[in-house]
Amino acid sequence: MLKLLLPILFPSWRFFSSIGPSPRIHYAFLKHEDDHPESWNEFRPKPEKISFKQSMCNLFHNPTWNETLYINTCAERLFESYSEMREREIMRRLLNFISANKIAIKPDWKYVVYRISAIMREGQVVTQQVTFISKPGMISSIVDKDMV
Amino acid sequence: MNLESAVRISEMILAFAVAQQSLEHIRSLHPEKNVGVIRLLLALFLMAGFFPVFVEAGLLVIACWYLYRFQGPYNGGSDAMTILVLLCLFLSHVAPTRFWQEIALGYLAFQLSFSYFQSGYIKIINADWRSGHALQDVFNITAYPLSNSIRQWGQSLRLMFAMSWIVIVFELLFPLAILNYYALLVALIIAAIFHLANACLFGLNRFFWIWPSAYPIILWFQGRLIAS
Repeated sequence: MLKLLLPILFPSWRFFSSIGPSPRIHYAFLKHEDDHPESWNEFRPKPEKISFKQSMCNLFHNPTWNETLYINTCAERLFESYSEMREREIMRRLLNFISANKIAIKPDWKYVVYRISAIMREGQVVTQQVTFISKPGMISSIVDKDMV
Repeated sequence: MNLESAVRISEMILAFAVAQQSLEHIRSLHPEKNVGVIRLLLALFLMAGFFPVFVEAGLLVIACWYLYRFQGPYNGGSDAMTILVLLCLFLSHVAPTRFWQEIALGYLAFQLSFSYFQSGYIKIINADWRSGHALQDVFNITAYPLSNSIRQWGQSLRLMFAMSWIVIVFELLFPLAILNYYALLVALIIAAIFHLANACLFGLNRFFWIWPSAYPIILWFQGRLIAS
């Protein structure tokens, strides 16, 4: 606990000291646990535009975006080293996203898997590389009611 | 501004910020959802000025629980500042003498000022920030821009260069504003606009509410520093 508290009591305010690899998360559905994903979907794609009114509302209440920032933090930690807790946190929130957004799921899709790509600039070239693929998570435990 | 007024105003802004964060957690998953309800109630008590020392102690316990639950801050710097403000205000209530009360609040004023200065310093020593390329990467590469149209801003290196230098100069000069009350007022207004821009461009809305909660303390600190 002290390890978690010390950086808060004596904080370092080095915001954006260097721009490291940035995570992008995609998910795919599987019929069987050991299947290979056929197509990947972007997790929470960005809107084209945000209206002024929406921006002002977001100032007061923006739980989805702040959760996305937390998921990105988990993904960045996974760049550094494997953590079961971070992998599980992303999966829980992905399953909740699938459930809450009423994404049409075929009856034979039993599992969901996600991958994390790292986007970075090397010189003048921007590269994207898949760095992590999660263990499959069972859809049925969360989204039975949303199956189509 | 005297110390008591600064603490009270700071507590009210902090209470609003904590309530705002809690409402977002209530929309999240268990168990942080349930803890968010308790946190929201405590924030309302704090806003009303109801036994602030006990309420702040309760909020600190919850803050530690969140730190453990997420193995660090849920929302980076904004969570760090929330705990820091909370802790310094709590310590100002339990401090045995006026001297220690002023030390606790002085530490918060120092951290607020340092948050801007250090942030500016790490940018100016970085060639990519000085050229505008680092901010260009923030827009082009990171996950922060709220929409694709905001991401397009990164196409203009000239704009990124200008924005980088405005931010760097402001952040580095911020501590100097403590020398004069009106200069500090202007600096705090610019700082609030800076946080508003970050909220609108990158969705960092929690920073916009929590940083100003320490502003009354730095205004008190400025008066205390000049008086001595």
